Amino acid sequence: MEKHLDARFERVEKALTTLIDSIAKYNPSEKLAEDLTTADKNLLTGLRSLEHHQNNSARIEALRQETAALDTQTKDIISTLWSMRKEVKNTTTTTYPAASPKYQFTTSDLLSYARRISRNTLPPPGVTNGLDFGASPPPQELPAPEEAGRSAAQTPNASFNNGVGTPAAAPTPSANGEVLASQATVTSTATELPMHLKPVVNPSEGTVFYAWPIEGDVRGGGLAGYQQLFDTGIDPKGYDPEEVERRKKEEEQAKKEEEERARLEREEADRRMRQERERMARERERDRQLEAERRGSVAGGSRPQQKQQFAFLDLDDDDDDE
Amino acid sequence: MASEPMSVGSSALEPPAPPSASNEPKYGGYTRFELELELVQAMGNPQYLNHLASRKLLSNPAFIAYLDYLQYWSRPPYIKYLTYPGPALKNLQLLQQEKFRQEIISPDLVQALTVEGMRATVEWHRESQG
Repeated sequence: MEKHLDARFERVEKALTTLIDSIAKYNPSEKLAEDLTTADKNLLTGLRSLEHHQNNSARIEALRQETAALDTQTKDIISTLWSMRKEVKNTTTTTYPAASPKYQFTTSDLLSYARRISRNTLPPPGVTNGLDFGASPPPQELPAPEEAGRSAAQTPNASFNNGVGTPAAAPTPSANGEVLASQATVTSTATELPMHLKPVVNPSEGTVFYAWPIEGDVRGGGLAGYQQLFDTGIDPKGYDPEEVERRKKEEEQAKKEEEERARLEREEADRRMRQERERMARERERDRQLEAERRGSVAGGSRPQQKQQFAFLDLDDDDDDE
Repeated sequence: MASEPMSVGSSALEPPAPPSASNEPKYGGYTRFELELELVQAMGNPQYLNHLASRKLLSNPAFIAYLDYLQYWSRPPYIKYLTYPGPALKNLQLLQQEKFRQEIISPDLVQALTVEGMRATVEWHRESQG
């Protein structure tokens, strides 16, 4: 390229020199001037092609750099891939058991479980565990009366009511307004209610919700009972307080029954003895009567018959006693 | 509500087979199922963990093995019996770590866990609301 340009330069210089010479010799020739113009034009195109050439070489350079960058990138990717492949090959794969059991459940199972655990996972409304939520929405109750009042005032029924009882209806919105105004001043001066009013607004103020069994639950549970048995020297294995309690009750019951039976037997014996005594008394009485009859028959009269009647009544009475 | 049957896979580690109901041995009047269920859930309470640590149980190799065994509660069919599933399973998971077992003796950690747990129980619901 340089040679090419040099040749053109030389040609221009030569043409110029010849032209100057010719001018110096006071013999300017048109042809020489034209030669110079053509040479100059040639030089210009040469310079243009030089520019083009330089642009091209710069582009080639840029492309080379790009290629090099892409090459390194490719190399990087390949090496990463290679190391990845190595890593993947080294990873121990999880071997799933062939017959992994699947546990069937239904949406209703899921819902019933959700309902069952909800009392332990979700704090009751109003319980914030002492957290202060700056962006907490204002209580819903406050704007409600105002809205109700306003809507009541706007509806035709309200105007009808007003016509009937104006003095009663009129003060209500203003009262509400006052309440709201006082509320607003309270909230503007102090962001918190006074301590003594907090439980009024929120009954669960100060209560804390834990998502785990609290100490009382643990202390009152079966594990605590187990520990207690262990501490009292009873081996809890196979020991069932309910069973023991039941057995004790059974024993008590048996004892009671035994006592009852003994009492009944005693009573029965008493009764027999009494009967025996009565029988002996009756026999003695009969003996006495017989003796009396014998004496009566000796004396004569209707008395013995009467006596017999009484004796029969006596017997009857005894039967009733039994 | 349509009750579509679904299923969930269990891990390779199988929980112990439940013994037949009639001749199941009882421990202080409770079955092993009841006692272990209670234990796993009580362990959701950070103070209880601290109590266990203070009795040197968390450094006892036998107890550590038992903690590993108790993980069957994190899988069906047993998982559905937990009524405090979140903290119980979280702490059961933490208890598998040596560092946690050593550090739960610190009242600061107990306090931090308690505060965080209380905050989480309130916040998870608020987030889902928002």
